[in-house]
Amino acid sequence: MTNPLQFESPSFKKRIKGMLGVDFYRLFHTPMFYIFLFIAAIIPAMISAMTMMPSPDGGASTPLYSNLWQIIAASKSLYVIKTIADYANMNMVFIFGGIMVSVFIGHDYKSGYVKQLFTTHAKKQDYMISKSLVCAFAMACMCITYLIGGIVGGLFAGYDTSVNVLSLVVAVLGKMILSLGWASLYTFLNVIFRRYFGISIASSFFFGTGILIIGVAAIVEKLPIPTAILNIFLYGASVNANLSSGISALIVCIAVSLAWAFFYNFLGTKILSKSDVY
Amino acid sequence: MNAIEIKGLSKNFGAKQAVCALDMTVPMGAIYGFIGENGSGKSTTEKMICGLIPKSGGSIKIYGRDHTDKDVRAKMGVLIEAPGCFGGLSVFDNMMLQAANLSIPNAEREVIKTLKMVRMEGAAGNKYKNCSLGMKQRVGIAMALLGDPTLLVLDEPLNGLDADGMRIMREIFLDIVRDGRRTILVSSHLLGELQKVATHYGIIRHGKMICEMTAEQLDADCRTYVALQSAEMSRTKALLGCKYTRVEEDEAGYLRVYDQTTPEEVVTYLYKEGIPVTEIKTDKIGLEEYYIDLMKGGN
Repeated sequence: MTNPLQFESPSFKKRIKGMLGVDFYRLFHTPMFYIFLFIAAIIPAMISAMTMMPSPDGGASTPLYSNLWQIIAASKSLYVIKTIADYANMNMVFIFGGIMVSVFIGHDYKSGYVKQLFTTHAKKQDYMISKSLVCAFAMACMCITYLIGGIVGGLFAGYDTSVNVLSLVVAVLGKMILSLGWASLYTFLNVIFRRYFGISIASSFFFGTGILIIGVAAIVEKLPIPTAILNIFLYGASVNANLSSGISALIVCIAVSLAWAFFYNFLGTKILSKSDVY
Repeated sequence: MNAIEIKGLSKNFGAKQAVCALDMTVPMGAIYGFIGENGSGKSTTEKMICGLIPKSGGSIKIYGRDHTDKDVRAKMGVLIEAPGCFGGLSVFDNMMLQAANLSIPNAEREVIKTLKMVRMEGAAGNKYKNCSLGMKQRVGIAMALLGDPTLLVLDEPLNGLDADGMRIMREIFLDIVRDGRRTILVSSHLLGELQKVATHYGIIRHGKMICEMTAEQLDADCRTYVALQSAEMSRTKALLGCKYTRVEEDEAGYLRVYDQTTPEEVVTYLYKEGIPVTEIKTDKIGLEEYYIDLMKGGN
């Protein structure tokens, strides 16, 4: 007897193309994306403008930065943060990005979308790859709006604009490239804490602020551990993309971002395959 | 070949056994009504069939293949709890997204065809969040139907529907299986509604399948009874209780005699006792009563 049922499933290329199409469509059709782009633009503008305001007692203002481009990246590799200025640069995008990824993925679970998806798509890796890529794109877009907001705010504040253009390009590109690693980390965290939206956001915030790596850095600063080791972490590599960077920093960013993307996608796929979908 | 064949399926959540050595057979082309009380393991079983939660033991075959086979999974459509739609998007856009996810060629044509099937073609432009519950359930079925799956797993799709919504849903179910290619596994608490469409039943309790039967077997198993009303119901009940072993009053105010008897015999008996019968009929218990009897351990 012949079997009337024809069994065939779409190829990986077709599946990932379809899924990316859906996720990009969702990204562009959700107000959340534009809100985060706006936040990424307004924060550096506000910080730079506010730090140039006269102090309440009528004294002279104390500028947070000495140069406009420090709004975008630190002037040199700073593994240990001592002032707000050391911290308040494009790295903040990785905090906003973490929250955005939590909301984006949280909705997948809340709406039942993942149930539809994982019933018909046996491959969990498709989900990890698609989310990581789309969220990386969103974070890279945030880097651009942060750059624009920082420039506009900095110009209004009257900061010095002198810069080594190559280093600036490397710093911005480096952080954009690192978005992939960060997005993969956040996707992974959200897969782990998929049932607990609050914990997802909190964990994304915790990792995004770099508290872990800053804490480690503060300890190892006193130890004879080379900074090259710190550079293999996302935050370390991100610090490496600064206004004194050369092309080698960009290579570090690419290598670290890809390594963490593979690592977190692999782990996330394993966890999704072994765990329940709620 | 059966659409679903489950042997010795079990699922443990820590120390709690949610599903225990469950066997289940869903023939191709069937509308399989999956029945059980809350927490009996229906949804857990359905999720295991869909590959949403890993099983602790046993086997699940879909069309003779392991249920994790990606080719088999491409043949499935599912509506479990929520349809996975995005509220801010229109029904049509949500469907198009699902079509993209499934890599469906000629997506627009397929989406329109599927929306027609669930009587939603007129509401395609509505935002999903503005749809009524009945419409949302139909969109959920449409999402499950995209990609021409041959096995649909629907968890409580009748919940919250009004009478017209139920009627439409019943028509949709019948349309889906009309050509015999598709199979529906549907769980519901609304047994009366389920009985109107289901061709097969499986009753689960405490994670165990306590019986599986066809609609014909259910019909044969369902006891017939004589239902009557008289001018003196309490006296009638007492008299019938003396002659018959099982006499009960139902919610509609009829006295039911479940013993082997005929309306003529009952009328004659009551007439001799001086009680005029105002209405009498024979009927069969429905799925709901059958289920309640079964749960009570009745016959």
